[in-house]
Amino acid sequence: MKQNKTLFLVEIAIFTSLAFLLNLVSQVMPLKVWPQGGSVSIEMVPIFIMAYRWGVKGGVLAGFLLGLLQFVFGPTIYHPVQGFIDYFVAFSVVGLAGLFASQIKNAVQQKQRGKWIVLATLGILLGSLLRFISHFITGIVFFGSYAPEGQPVALYSFIYNGTYMLPNFILCVIIVVLVISAAPKKMI
Amino acid sequence: MMEKMIFGRYVPMDSVIHRMDPRSKLLLVFLFVCIVFLANNLLTYILLGLFTLLMLGMSKIPFRFLYAGLKPVVFLVIFTLILHLFLTKEGELLFKLGWIEIYEEGLRQGIFISLRFFYLILMTSLLTLTTTPIEITDGLETLLNPMKKIKFPVHEMALMMSISLRFIPTLMQETDKIMKAQMARGVEFSSGPIKDRLKAIVPLLIPLFVSSFKRAEELAIAMEARGYRGGEGRTKYRQLVWTYIDTIILTFMAILTILLILFRT
Repeated sequence: MKQNKTLFLVEIAIFTSLAFLLNLVSQVMPLKVWPQGGSVSIEMVPIFIMAYRWGVKGGVLAGFLLGLLQFVFGPTIYHPVQGFIDYFVAFSVVGLAGLFASQIKNAVQQKQRGKWIVLATLGILLGSLLRFISHFITGIVFFGSYAPEGQPVALYSFIYNGTYMLPNFILCVIIVVLVISAAPKKMI
Repeated sequence: MMEKMIFGRYVPMDSVIHRMDPRSKLLLVFLFVCIVFLANNLLTYILLGLFTLLMLGMSKIPFRFLYAGLKPVVFLVIFTLILHLFLTKEGELLFKLGWIEIYEEGLRQGIFISLRFFYLILMTSLLTLTTTPIEITDGLETLLNPMKKIKFPVHEMALMMSISLRFIPTLMQETDKIMKAQMARGVEFSSGPIKDRLKAIVPLLIPLFVSSFKRAEELAIAMEARGYRGGEGRTKYRQLVWTYIDTIILTFMAILTILLILFRT
């Protein structure tokens, strides 16, 4: 049991730095998946893998750490509420995809490919949706405190955050499914 | 590139701000982010500006580093400025050219809000320019210590952060190696249709993940072998020292807050 706890901490720490790195790599190196680059990256993939391996606790911890890493490497803060949500909440909630962890594990062990793909997609949908909601709220805070009064701030935030979260979600589903199906026993 | 990964945006120098305790720097920036929103007239914005300039001056950070931090947000600042200029229609009409009308209130609000934006970016940049990621982690650990009472795993988080920070350059090398190996086998990462590029990511991620699992297992075993068993009674290698400089600068901050409350309208 003790061994498991140390392994749990270490594995999540290492996968968080992997997530951080994948975000950097997709900006710096010629790994342009989306023609425009931008915020579309595969940083959420390692978090989903951790969420499915270790459940909600692992996923949320990995997400929280990723936010913290981005914080210590230079945050962009323009409002206290935005700073808190963007760095401490937005990525943590991604880990809630781990709610499906035990069912996915069962499906993988029983080689029910269709079933775990659906479950994994649901988990990614949940995680991405919650992250979208967090960024949507910070967007409202941003436009609310920086744009003139009387503007449709919710609409601005919805469009701005939707344009990268939707492709992010699709990308994550494709990559997570491809990665797990390549080595189901090793990944989950 | 490697150095960028380890130190983030940290600029190694010797200045009063560099020598400050990370705890007091975090507190300073946190308070600053909150009190910026108190300012609502010319005098209060000037006070905040003077304080920001004073801090920047004391940090001795060359301007080009600050500019690098500002560059990504210049667009946002211009965007908010334009929104205010054209969409706020209060006060006196200052300028009219065809359908373009600029009002006094729009100009005022536009300038104030852009200034607020600049102050916030400059002060948060100051934190990461003068403090290494590991120092910030140590600072956060001690500041968040009271949260242990509500069962928040502060010690574990700090340990995991140090492991993450330590592994960023290592994993960077690993990624680079695997990418080159796969490119040698003919995988195209940067050209071809999107579908092919997506498929190319998988042969990069799988070896990367598998080797990371292995690394994690080895590290966990090594830690166990050296007697790691959680937070209670662990001593620290890096000790934080609170000096009189920290007290003085935080006192400045308190005075600034009081002045802002007195002079705001």
